[in-house]
Amino acid sequence: MKIAIQGIGVVGGFGTGVADMRQALLSGVSNRSSVHLSNCGEPLDLSALRAETSRLNDFVPIKAQRRIDNFSKLGLLGAYLALEDAGVLAEGPQERLGVVIASGYGATGITYAFLDSFINDGDICASPTYFANSVHNSAAAYISIMLGATGPSSTVSQFHLSVPSALQTAWLWLAEGRVDRVLFGAVDELSELIGYAWYRQRGRADHSDMIPLVTGRESAIPGEGAAFLLLSRQEEVQGGYCLIDHVTTGRFLKPGFLRTPDELLILGADGRRDMGANYAALTEKSNIACFTPLYGSMPAGPAFDLAVASLMLKEGKTFASPGGSECDFPAQVVPGGSSLEGSRVSSLTLSDDDGYGLVNLTQL
Amino acid sequence: MNTKEKLKKILITDLNLEELAPEDIDDSAPLFGEGLGLDSLDAVELVVIIQKHFGIEIKDMEEGRSAFQSIEALAAYIDRRLAAA
Repeated sequence: MKIAIQGIGVVGGFGTGVADMRQALLSGVSNRSSVHLSNCGEPLDLSALRAETSRLNDFVPIKAQRRIDNFSKLGLLGAYLALEDAGVLAEGPQERLGVVIASGYGATGITYAFLDSFINDGDICASPTYFANSVHNSAAAYISIMLGATGPSSTVSQFHLSVPSALQTAWLWLAEGRVDRVLFGAVDELSELIGYAWYRQRGRADHSDMIPLVTGRESAIPGEGAAFLLLSRQEEVQGGYCLIDHVTTGRFLKPGFLRTPDELLILGADGRRDMGANYAALTEKSNIACFTPLYGSMPAGPAFDLAVASLMLKEGKTFASPGGSECDFPAQVVPGGSSLEGSRVSSLTLSDDDGYGLVNLTQL
Repeated sequence: MNTKEKLKKILITDLNLEELAPEDIDDSAPLFGEGLGLDSLDAVELVVIIQKHFGIEIKDMEEGRSAFQSIEALAAYIDRRLAAA
């Protein structure tokens, strides 16, 4: 079985929707913003690529959003944009639609606000709304409820391998015939807590640019956002972006395994120096591209790579890597505007503990 | 600031009623259903909000039911409880 990508919904530092993402791919520019940290000894603004959710007002009345936390808003917006992009939003309730979300961190903003309320006001004053939003599957539940999706709904968290793991779940649901479509999405929010953890581990992130293919230098900038794909079994749809051939996860990928001359390999390298060497070792002599400077460093990132790969496969041309062509290991950084030779693109993600996720995509 | 004004500001912030300003809230309009449009989950939030901001614990359902009729009724209830403390 192959899976067709019918629609894409993205929101991140580059803007909102496929058109904004495409524009950022052409210009190589995303909007740098910041997250304010108030508990670092002295207040500071951590450089970041933030997502903005005001477009959600086009889909959900403001009054109906009042209990929805930022994480779920990101997810809802990505979900609606994907259905809109696929042209199926007007169909009404999606009875045979499954929803699966990948997230490395989950809804940290509301979860820690809930826990803080225990400390500040005592457990008797814990907010029931905060509690509901802190439940692991709440974003997927909001999406299912609002779209009338009565298929299965799940959230997968496996840190940097959350995206390929959740994609395998989506694949299974389609293969089993449990659903006709799956709304697959990845979400990560840059709450103050995540910003603080970043700052303590990596500093202020005030690099001028992310240059993830220069693996010997730290250049990571934290990001947030949501990337959703509407998936169907290939034989049941016409049109769309591309096909997903395989989704593989595992451990201890051997150098040379990925050396496929006809294939473009999109690396999840995100400017974290400690991970850069692993990407370099595994992808020597490959044709590579890297789009993390578009959306920033976050575990949900590989879903954005899938969105970019889909766009490239549909258009039959490559986009230039926004971090530039500079690369400090022997690989070929593919320039923008070239034809996609071999019509195949793969997305590689590595975890901190020798795990990997590999998604192979082909043209329709 | 009197209790009614304080209460309106707290409700707008804590219940995320962002589309409303304090002056949009009618003192005598029902909090639930037709008036402010709050629901059963908001009722639980209200119990928490009153305890958190005013130090008043509402344990009796009937007491809560009459206090939660309107901003006016709730402010009067809070003032009464604070005076009795």
